[in-house]
Amino acid sequence: MDFSEAADRISRKFQKSGQTIDQKKIEGKLRRLIEEFGVQPAEAERSVTNELNKEFNIPLGGSGGSAGSGGAGSSGTAEKKIADAAPGEWVTIEGKIVALAAPASPAIAQSGVIADDSGAIRFVAWAKANAPAMTQGSWYRIESAVVDEFKGIASLKIHSGTTIKEIEEDRALMPATTPISELRPGIGSIRAKVVQEWDASHERMLQSGLLGDETGTIKFVIWKEPGKESLAPGSVYNIFYAQVDEYNGRLSLNLNTAMVMQEEGDIAVNGGEAAVSGAIVHVAPGSGIIKRCPVEGCNRALSRQNYCPVHEIQPKFTYDLRIKGWLDDGEKTHSVLLQRDVVESLTGISLDAAKEIAENNPLGMDEVFLQMRDKVLGRYITCHGREIDNRVLVNKCEPVGFESEKHTALLNRAGGAS
Amino acid sequence: MSTPSHEMGRKDASFEREPARRVFASELRECRYQFKDGEDEKSPTFVLLPTGERCNRVFIVGTLTEKQRQGDQNMFYRGRVVDPTGTFFIMAGSYQPEAMQQLAKIETPAFVAVIGKPSLYRKDEASAPMISIRVESINIVDKETRDLWVLDTAERTLDRIEAFAEGTGRDVVKAKEQYPTIDPVTYRKIAYDALSQVKI
Ligand SMILES: [Zn+2]
Repeated sequence: MDFSEAADRISRKFQKSGQTIDQKKIEGKLRRLIEEFGVQPAEAERSVTNELNKEFNIPLGGSGGSAGSGGAGSSGTAEKKIADAAPGEWVTIEGKIVALAAPASPAIAQSGVIADDSGAIRFVAWAKANAPAMTQGSWYRIESAVVDEFKGIASLKIHSGTTIKEIEEDRALMPATTPISELRPGIGSIRAKVVQEWDASHERMLQSGLLGDETGTIKFVIWKEPGKESLAPGSVYNIFYAQVDEYNGRLSLNLNTAMVMQEEGDIAVNGGEAAVSGAIVHVAPGSGIIKRCPVEGCNRALSRQNYCPVHEIQPKFTYDLRIKGWLDDGEKTHSVLLQRDVVESLTGISLDAAKEIAENNPLGMDEVFLQMRDKVLGRYITCHGREIDNRVLVNKCEPVGFESEKHTALLNRAGGAS
Repeated sequence: MSTPSHEMGRKDASFEREPARRVFASELRECRYQFKDGEDEKSPTFVLLPTGERCNRVFIVGTLTEKQRQGDQNMFYRGRVVDPTGTFFIMAGSYQPEAMQQLAKIETPAFVAVIGKPSLYRKDEASAPMISIRVESINIVDKETRDLWVLDTAERTLDRIEAFAEGTGRDVVKAKEQYPTIDPVTYRKIAYDALSQVKI
């Protein structure tokens, strides 16, 4: 989408009142609203214009006014959308209190999360600021607060120079959810499935485990607090305004501040990189050499009659290799899908050699299946790849070798005290 | 271990396959108790291992020493697979044509890997129950795979013996009831002997 026309209109409006605004900056704001938040273009243009009006203290709906006055009261603190508030800045924001947390120290009067339609930020009101207590669910205009950063997490500091006014607003906020792989420290909203539940490692802990979506997984924790409930393993939730923390380079979610809503859907969870070892105990039909649909972007496996479920008969198919099977370690069975180069290196049968067999052997493609099955069934291998809903898409694999250290260790273990 | 204590309970219908247990012949031979988990016709059947674990499927590697074709109308194959501790009895019938063809093809002796379902049967009312493995798949493997299997099976057996001693194994209580005369510690000696037979 092209934003230059709308950006040009906006910048011309401001030129009339003597302001020069970087057109790229306007385009960026428009793009963010339209592409990330799904705002209609006309509404985005209006919203960016208003935002800039406020930023330059231009009264809405007209030119003239007090451009560039910079009066003492609002001493240059910029009116910001929460998502744009950068560390080190003095800002004025309008937002809704979406969570309140128990203050961590007596120096803090109130802390929690404040949100607008652009995003959310943690806030801390110092006790000596003597600020009025804010209520969860209400909207406030917070003038001249400071955006601070600690361990990569931004928060809004309310101090004695900050003024807080409750404002009339009853808009419902619908936060945009972020893919788990794109979460950053701060506040985040996700749609995710509970993929694991772990034993509590602390008596104050209500629940911990792993949440996952199509892009990855993240650890979560819920601390015991009145009204907090555990999540149901296997269920999908919309989780708004959770605290995203970072520890040793790994992110985790604290759900105590979050709004958590269960829903009916399902998610194919990407479990990230996995390495599984075991024996191949099953090679499924559909393994070996297959034909794929040549239509660009399709690549579906064709039936024996060269039939694509979407594009019908495709006589100009391409060949590919794959092995679908089960890798079993004696405790758990993983579904594995080996891609072509993995199949080639594991079986020693190249795509060209397989083609040759498929086209000339009386058994055709079945012969390739049989030869490949004979080479892998019952073998111990280690597979690496991405795990999606219990299936590992294997991009690398190697045979398990005999380790004499392991042999010795087991002899010691078996021969030990009895 | 750092693995989570509960794997998630899957809501969807996607099928959770029973793992193939690693068990030496001398332990499997002692199984006398078989049970179903659930009322359903499709609920899996398990034999109870004396070390306190249920077993619906096994993965074994050993030497196929004998095989014979039996029956006319209902043709099937029987075979003997030997590991360092004893003998597994395997069979493949017409309900598993692929496995039967594979077994028919293999020349004895050979190292084989077998995936199959153990089940108890009696020759007649008076005789003691015997255990045999219905073959799902069988394949020729090399000696290294056999050696790896001995290590793997020794390790899993020792794990079960420990879980039995600590009372943490899933079916420990059942095993104590069903096999009051078996002390699982004897399988530690068996695991040691099996490991000792693996030459590097
Ligand atoms: Zn197609």
